[in-house]
Amino acid sequence: MSDKVTVRVTHRFPTAKPERVFDAWLDPVTAGKWLFATPTGKITRCAIDAKVGGKFSIVRVDENGEFNHEGEYLEIDRPRRLVFTFGIVRLSPELSRVIIEIVPMGQGCELTLTNEGVLPDYADRVPEGWRMILGNLAKTLA
Amino acid sequence: MLNHMVQRPQKSLDGIFSALSDPTRRSMLRRLAARERTIGELAAPFRMSFAAASKHVRVLERAGLLRRRVQGRSHICRIVPEPLAAADEWLRYYERFWRGQLSALEAVLETEGPDHATKGSR
Repeated sequence: MSDKVTVRVTHRFPTAKPERVFDAWLDPVTAGKWLFATPTGKITRCAIDAKVGGKFSIVRVDENGEFNHEGEYLEIDRPRRLVFTFGIVRLSPELSRVIIEIVPMGQGCELTLTNEGVLPDYADRVPEGWRMILGNLAKTLA
Repeated sequence: MLNHMVQRPQKSLDGIFSALSDPTRRSMLRRLAARERTIGELAAPFRMSFAAASKHVRVLERAGLLRRRVQGRSHICRIVPEPLAAADEWLRYYERFWRGQLSALEAVLETEGPDHATKGSR
């Protein structure tokens, strides 16, 4: 049995309205610019079927190889709530669940992301280089 | 004698999260953070049997979060905090991942500017 864990982060967008932040997850052109991107990786494919039951596949190629981030949309309630499954099947066959909740705030909005069902052993199979890149991502973009 | 207790942190993460998935065991750990307690003392607030409390203690022990010593007829438990740090570090990895993603999203939206047309997604 795998025991699962929930991770939650909140981010404030001072000037972006909820609709823009919401659409950035589902519009392939916008999503292809940031979703699962890393400084040294290149997004080679960004396919999004933005409907409930639709699937997405975002492929990044970097020095560690090719990573297909894939999942299925479970709830689409623009611009409030988006729920999808998510995983890199090559690294772990089980998908976790991501819940995006957006509330208006001032001129912008606040987004809360909950990643449920993260597997404790998942990180073991992620190449060390990739872990470092992800760790540095926030700093790089700050 | 103690060699078997030295675990590789990655291997033990499953056990740690499994142990922490139960509210009774989390509460036991919180109470052990204050001081050592006997199994009877750990059982008391839950109105549970000694056997049931022993079972929880064994789970915590296997996860490396608790050690016990036998003193007369009492089993005295104490918390071992180090594995919690490994679990915390693991969780922070995911937090960093998603924080990085959301920062990247904000950067993209700022580049596009507020007047950029939004596309309906339904």
